[in-house]
Amino acid sequence: MSKLIKNELTKIFKKKSIYITLLVILAFVILTNCIYKFFYNSSTFYGDTYIEYAKEELAKLDPNKVSDIKMYIDLKTTVEIYEMQEKYEKDDWRRDILSVQVGTYINEKNNYLYGEDKDLEKVAQVQEKINKIMEKLEKDDWKYFANEELENAKLALSDLEEQKKNMEDKQEIKNLESSIENAKIDEEVARYRVDKDIKYGNDYRNRALNEYQSCAKNVKNYENSDQKLEYSDQKRYNTDLEEREINRYIIENNVDINKGNDIRGILRNFFSEYGLFIIVMVIMIAGTIVSEEFSKGTIKLLLVKPYPRYKILMSKWITVMIMILFSIVALIVMELIVGGIIFGYDSLSVPVLHYNFDTQSLEAINVFADLGLQTITQLPKVILLAMLAFSFSTLFTNSAVAIAIPLLGYMSADVINSLVVNFKVDFMRFFVSLNWDFGQYLYGNLPKLEGLTLWFSAIICILYFVAMIIPTFITFKKRNIKNV
Amino acid sequence: MEKKKTVLKCENLDKNFGKKQILSDVSFEVQEGDILGFIGPNGAGKTTTIKLVLGLQSISKGKVTINGYDIKSQFTKAIERVGAIVENPDLYMYLSGLENLKLISNLYSGISNDRIDEVVKLVKLENRIKDKVSKYSLGMRQRLGIAQAILHSPNLLILDEPTNGLDPEGIKEMRELLVELAQKEKMAILISSHNLAELDNLCNKVCIIKNGKIIETSNISDIKKQENTQFKIFEVNDIEKMKQLYPKTIKMKNNQCKLDIAKDEIPEVIKKLVENQIKIYEVKEEEKSLEQAFFEKTGGNVIE
Repeated sequence: MSKLIKNELTKIFKKKSIYITLLVILAFVILTNCIYKFFYNSSTFYGDTYIEYAKEELAKLDPNKVSDIKMYIDLKTTVEIYEMQEKYEKDDWRRDILSVQVGTYINEKNNYLYGEDKDLEKVAQVQEKINKIMEKLEKDDWKYFANEELENAKLALSDLEEQKKNMEDKQEIKNLESSIENAKIDEEVARYRVDKDIKYGNDYRNRALNEYQSCAKNVKNYENSDQKLEYSDQKRYNTDLEEREINRYIIENNVDINKGNDIRGILRNFFSEYGLFIIVMVIMIAGTIVSEEFSKGTIKLLLVKPYPRYKILMSKWITVMIMILFSIVALIVMELIVGGIIFGYDSLSVPVLHYNFDTQSLEAINVFADLGLQTITQLPKVILLAMLAFSFSTLFTNSAVAIAIPLLGYMSADVINSLVVNFKVDFMRFFVSLNWDFGQYLYGNLPKLEGLTLWFSAIICILYFVAMIIPTFITFKKRNIKNV
Repeated sequence: MEKKKTVLKCENLDKNFGKKQILSDVSFEVQEGDILGFIGPNGAGKTTTIKLVLGLQSISKGKVTINGYDIKSQFTKAIERVGAIVENPDLYMYLSGLENLKLISNLYSGISNDRIDEVVKLVKLENRIKDKVSKYSLGMRQRLGIAQAILHSPNLLILDEPTNGLDPEGIKEMRELLVELAQKEKMAILISSHNLAELDNLCNKVCIIKNGKIIETSNISDIKKQENTQFKIFEVNDIEKMKQLYPKTIKMKNNQCKLDIAKDEIPEVIKKLVENQIKIYEVKEEEKSLEQAFFEKTGGNVIE
């Protein structure tokens, strides 16, 4: 049998097509890495083109027309902020203050200027506030703003707590309590900024602060909800909880855990970046390994050798399995070489973080261990698709069908899954695409559909596998080799 | 004479595809050292029979034994010492000739590189063996096909149309090679062909199949001897004159004609021709070729 497998591998690696495929994949890997290196831009500032567009629109609108007013104020505010920001360098922290703190005042000012109840006196007041801030900005002292933000947050919090003491209506107290929770989070975030020395701007720590703020609020929101959470809400709650913990870790440890544009970031999402390439390569091999021998007539050469037919087919299937591992390893090696050249290897020492819902704590795991875990959890999917291609290849002896259908299955699986999840099509829990991704069972997270378990999924996958492999072997054993 | 060992034995083979019966009651044997020519018109069931023998198609009824092993129940043992080319020489076009042979040798134990070289020399491919098979001519592919079939020194060689695409030189070489294999290595050879003149000089036995039935199995010398003709061929200078003397004369090409007379009438005829100043260059008995025998037996090519 090992001789048969050796022969199959020789046949595969003597073909030009495999090297062409590998080259094309290499080109895609290089392209992906280059895009991450040179075009990865998470800036939230308005682009120049948008401002041009906003200015044009603004010129068309008439502030005296009732229907235009709201639009006019919004655009006017945007353009004004943009023009003020222009004064500073692109990554200056003051741009951030302008868009958030000053932005609110400018909006207020424009409301009094053009809105339905015009009030020139108030305009002057607001303009004064703006001018004060602008003066402070000139001094280039971000800590002043951070401290002020903290003070304001403290004030708002104590204000709310004061109010609560005078409340009697239960419902109102409850509403207030959730406001207090939010205010506490605001205060916490402001305190983080001061304590951890996080200068305003658009770097990963600021993003982490923002993320932390919104996720923490969502988590509290879900926790304080009276009703029992729907399954989809539970999943959202889990996502927010994990995000909150990870962003907290980033803020406290000053490590950019979520960084996407380096070799670690790509390896962390290895199967969503490169899964398609692995699948294409595997299906290409599994879909032709039997049917090509039939179409070229070489199957006769093989079948008159002193091996029972099931051994011949088995050797081909084992070869496919070897090629699955080969494709995964080949892509990892390509990424390590290309990514290493483009980004360097420094980021590989940073661990990958996962929130474990069972132990309710963060787990740090080595990048390569994480990659191994991804591979193991994705392997059932790859094996099942390869088996599908292999089955069709044997049953229909037609390479085109054997390649096209599994590929179609792979691409439509995500669509089917999201439809099933959205519309809660419960009987679809027996469908393979909801079960073949074992990543959903890692770290105690909630699976795609309520009630799915690891064992259930394992049994479904095995059943599908058996349902494909048995007819394949029986057909191959009984098949009459027709005249070509 | 010592009894020769039976290598291949087919007993009462039937093959149905759905309701259509392709073969019915096909029986024949091949002994060691025999070259059995398997003749029949297109669609008669030659290739199907070969596929049944090799286990490539299931047998509806009957039995095939090779070296005493049943092809159905003891497939691996039965096929172990069989070499075959079915329909076309099936080779991996994207591999070189040598790589093809290496693949085959991997599947049998104990085939050394020396054996591969020896076989390559035997089929005279040593100069092109490292080229890709896709660059080979059909004749070269046939030779490589033979090489892969005899690589593991089988005692039964089954060849389906092996002379397809060979030039006359190649056909002569192949014939010599097959005769040598049969005589020296006591190989039993089953060979099917359309080229009847080919088989005429090669086989010692023939088996004629038509519409899925065996209609004749015998030694090649017997077939030719089945005398039902008494034509004598005359080569003379003036056929028209001879026709006046013997109106039954049938004109042939090149001043030849034939006449249906018994052997002892020949002196009489010669005497008469000489008297009439007709010059005689040659007188001989007409010998039947395998081709004629074949057409007589099959009655032309009718696919039912």
